[in-house]
Amino acid sequence: MAMLPLWLGAAPFGVIYAVSALAAGLSPAQTLAMSLLVFAGASQFTAVGMLAAGAGPLAVAVTTLILNARHLLMAASLAPHLRGLGPWGRLLLAAQLTDESYAVGIGRYIEGRGTPAFLAGCNLSLYTVWPLSTMVGILLGRAIPDPAAYGLDLVFPLTFVGLLVPLLKVRANRPVALVAGALTVGGALLLPGSWYVLLAGVGASGVGAWIGGRLEHEGRERSANSTNAKGANSANGKGAGDDPTPGGAP
Amino acid sequence: MMIWLTIVGMAAVTLATRALPLLVMRGELPPWLTRWLSFVPVAVFTALALRPLVVSGGPDPRLMLGAPLLAGLVGALAAWRTGSVFGTIAIGMAAYWLLRLAGV
Repeated sequence: MAMLPLWLGAAPFGVIYAVSALAAGLSPAQTLAMSLLVFAGASQFTAVGMLAAGAGPLAVAVTTLILNARHLLMAASLAPHLRGLGPWGRLLLAAQLTDESYAVGIGRYIEGRGTPAFLAGCNLSLYTVWPLSTMVGILLGRAIPDPAAYGLDLVFPLTFVGLLVPLLKVRANRPVALVAGALTVGGALLLPGSWYVLLAGVGASGVGAWIGGRLEHEGRERSANSTNAKGANSANGKGAGDDPTPGGAP
Repeated sequence: MMIWLTIVGMAAVTLATRALPLLVMRGELPPWLTRWLSFVPVAVFTALALRPLVVSGGPDPRLMLGAPLLAGLVGALAAWRTGSVFGTIAIGMAAYWLLRLAGV
């Protein structure tokens, strides 16, 4: 029941993904196989865009890796709750981990009511909705023989505009988007294939992390200064180096 | 064949990122890596949104400032106001068709 809004959120994306995938030249079997085997919305959208631009398997896999590296964080934060499970149980839960089921599942654990069975239920329900909506999209995509003729290839970038722009309400994300924009245009004009995605994905997020680290240093120094001299000394000592890892709490 | 290879490669790396921490992790990720990874979606979304709007596809990519970019900007405004992906697509597409009718 807790997953219902998430099904409604995921299903239309499954449909759009499938329509874009067919337009990019994937066969219906490949379109469905990707939903079943990869089962990661943002990565599938990205892969379709890159394949349409003629990218090779290596470029797509590396981009998928950096895009999905956030799952490392999610799985890592679930790990302490799943210590009691055997390795196969953990592998099964991990294989279907998504942003949505993680959010609902970890929420339950934070409330103190979480169980592996609940998490598995969240996972499985999405793993049903996602391929089903993909199939609906395949049927729909085959009904429209030439999507580009209607400008429907614009649906793809507009999807990402819709995902991106609300994120820009978080101030720290703005310089990242700006740098990513510059790297994208430069990379797309000068580099072959879809390497611009990787360039922008790694480069701009690195810049964001660096800026975030600097701000954190300053913030810590400022708050330390305002509280007591001893704290300020230790913060300054820490902030003096150019080490990009501002590390644990003082 | 290349597409199947791509799908298998994607499946492998996706499974690895999901399963590795649960199978082998003992401690926490270093904070700098956590922060870096938190910015990856913004950076990748920007790249994927912008390229089809301002750079033409094909073997000889060129900068293009026309109807797709304008429609993208209208979509961005809609996204800012509504926060809805579907609102963004609907309004962006409507803007694109109007621009095309107007001969842009």
